[in-house]
Amino acid sequence: MRLNPNQKLARSAWLDHVILILGSTFLMLPIFLMIVSSTHTSSVISQQGLQFWPGTQAGANYAQVARLEAGFTDQITALAMLKNSLVIAVSIASLTTVLSMMAAYAIVFFKFSVAGFLFWLTMLTLLLPLESRFVTTFQVAATLGLVNTFGGMVLPALAIALGTLFFRQLFLSFPNEYLEAAKLDGAGPVRFFWDFIVPLAWRRGGAIFVVSFMIGWNQYLWPLMLSTDESRYTVLRGIRLIGLESASGMALGVLTILPPLILVILFQRYFFQALVDTKDSF
Amino acid sequence: MAQVELKQVRKTYPNGAEAIFGVDMQIDDGELIVFVGPSGCGKSTLLRMVAGLESVTSGDILIGDRVINDVSPSERDVAMVFQNYALYPHMSVRGNMSYGLKNRKMDKAEIERRITDAAKMLKIDKFLDRQPNQLSGGQRQRVAMGRAIVRNPQVFLFDEPLSNLDAKLRVQMRIEIKKLQRRMNVTSIYVTHDQTEAMTLADRLAVINEGRVEQMGAPMELYSNPRTLFVASFIGSPAINLIPAKFDGTSLIAGDMALAGFSDLPTDKDLVLGVRPDVLTVSDEGQFSINVDLVEQHGGENLIYGSLPSMVSDAGDVQEICLKASQSLLPGLDEKMTLAFNPEDAFVFEKDTGARLK
Repeated sequence: MRLNPNQKLARSAWLDHVILILGSTFLMLPIFLMIVSSTHTSSVISQQGLQFWPGTQAGANYAQVARLEAGFTDQITALAMLKNSLVIAVSIASLTTVLSMMAAYAIVFFKFSVAGFLFWLTMLTLLLPLESRFVTTFQVAATLGLVNTFGGMVLPALAIALGTLFFRQLFLSFPNEYLEAAKLDGAGPVRFFWDFIVPLAWRRGGAIFVVSFMIGWNQYLWPLMLSTDESRYTVLRGIRLIGLESASGMALGVLTILPPLILVILFQRYFFQALVDTKDSF
Repeated sequence: MAQVELKQVRKTYPNGAEAIFGVDMQIDDGELIVFVGPSGCGKSTLLRMVAGLESVTSGDILIGDRVINDVSPSERDVAMVFQNYALYPHMSVRGNMSYGLKNRKMDKAEIERRITDAAKMLKIDKFLDRQPNQLSGGQRQRVAMGRAIVRNPQVFLFDEPLSNLDAKLRVQMRIEIKKLQRRMNVTSIYVTHDQTEAMTLADRLAVINEGRVEQMGAPMELYSNPRTLFVASFIGSPAINLIPAKFDGTSLIAGDMALAGFSDLPTDKDLVLGVRPDVLTVSDEGQFSINVDLVEQHGGENLIYGSLPSMVSDAGDVQEICLKASQSLLPGLDEKMTLAFNPEDAFVFEKDTGARLK
């Protein structure tokens, strides 16, 4: 018996759902285990490993994290570490978004002869992750007196070529007539940027904001190298400090994934639009 | 209000490609000039040079008595309507119209007054708070016009503004643009590749070919008195019949036809005979005959297409002839028709140079 097209479609949609459910369960499992384990005592976790059923110690564990004072001199609290991470990630996200928007604006709309060369030079940084240039970057940061400062943790991470590439592709899809009509309407380069580029690109820019926030938030090695002062510790370093195999470490881990999660939920509409929607309304 | 003058205007691109070869032109105050020509002929480039969107390689462009070669586009006091309208997608209709005025620091009440006036004139006053993507093609076109009108410029520039509209709307907007331009009496340059649009809109039209103005004049002057083969073939719909010919001293020889009534033509050159479809008549004592291939009934008139049996090229192509006839003349396919024309109404061109000899 042959299936009619509707049945075929129904069957493949059913199969799709099974695959998707299995996949997302697999991906969510570690997070689930972390959340569940954070409700047990440290001794349960260290003796029996990760837990699959909720325990009764949630209140005590999270209260302990809130009171936590870590570090050699016990100066740094969980809240302070979360704040540090937030300052760094928000700075990296907003500066990267603005800078890559401006760089792409210059490359696309100002027809200077080295624009193409500069663009590819920017792309080249994709091949050189921050980790590969730690030693020299540290020397530069030290010379500039940026050790133990937020500036030192933010600046080297700003060169995210992905943002420039993303905005360049977006701007290339703008009809040239916008610029020409705006010229006739008396808009110079700065005004065109504020009146056209920013309002037309900021929604898409949300995707770059989210991606670079993640990069900033998940930084581990560079802040570790650069900050000896405990008051500059980030929350990722705090997890390491407390130890993941403890209940409070689990609880801090849960708290650590909250800010990026909230951000993704807030921006997801723009995020998916930017990544999926290739056809534009311009 | 101003006149526009082009003096030996040239355009060479940085890569060496030459687009405009020395154009001289005088456009009078309040006149509507149409630049017409095939795509790539340089008509848009010339318009964009007047707008300031392309630089002038040499020569001068004057608006009024001011040389504007190096004046920025916004200070030339010109307004342009683009082919794709270029409406700002993130601004309302009102925002689109007011943007240029705000940048000029114009008084708010004055901006509002101008927008209200223009919107009424263009019948878009109901859409002022809509976004461009909520408008139809015709409405967008009107907004683009409105954006130009509120500027109250010395010169309007139109870059194929109707080519994105459907045929019916195009005719309607064509009439409106003409009326509007009459009413406002603003010097205008209009670029199109559509010869019907050019003929119907222009006070004078400039036929542009390969970066040169082939001929400039009133539409009917170009139609009935073309200076070159190119102008004759570009102006007129249906297109002029062009028949390769030679002169033997007494008559014009085309295929096995000998056409009398021509004199003072060179005998040593290849010639082209040009006969408009509307000067051909059916006559028993005709000069030549055609075999009918196709009849197009346009309602008020019929276009009869046929071929000259005596003229088949080496490649096997037949010489097509078109005749404009009344609706009552309806020959059958392959029917033989004998045609005549008054030599006075025909043109003769030199084939190689395209120059008109008669």
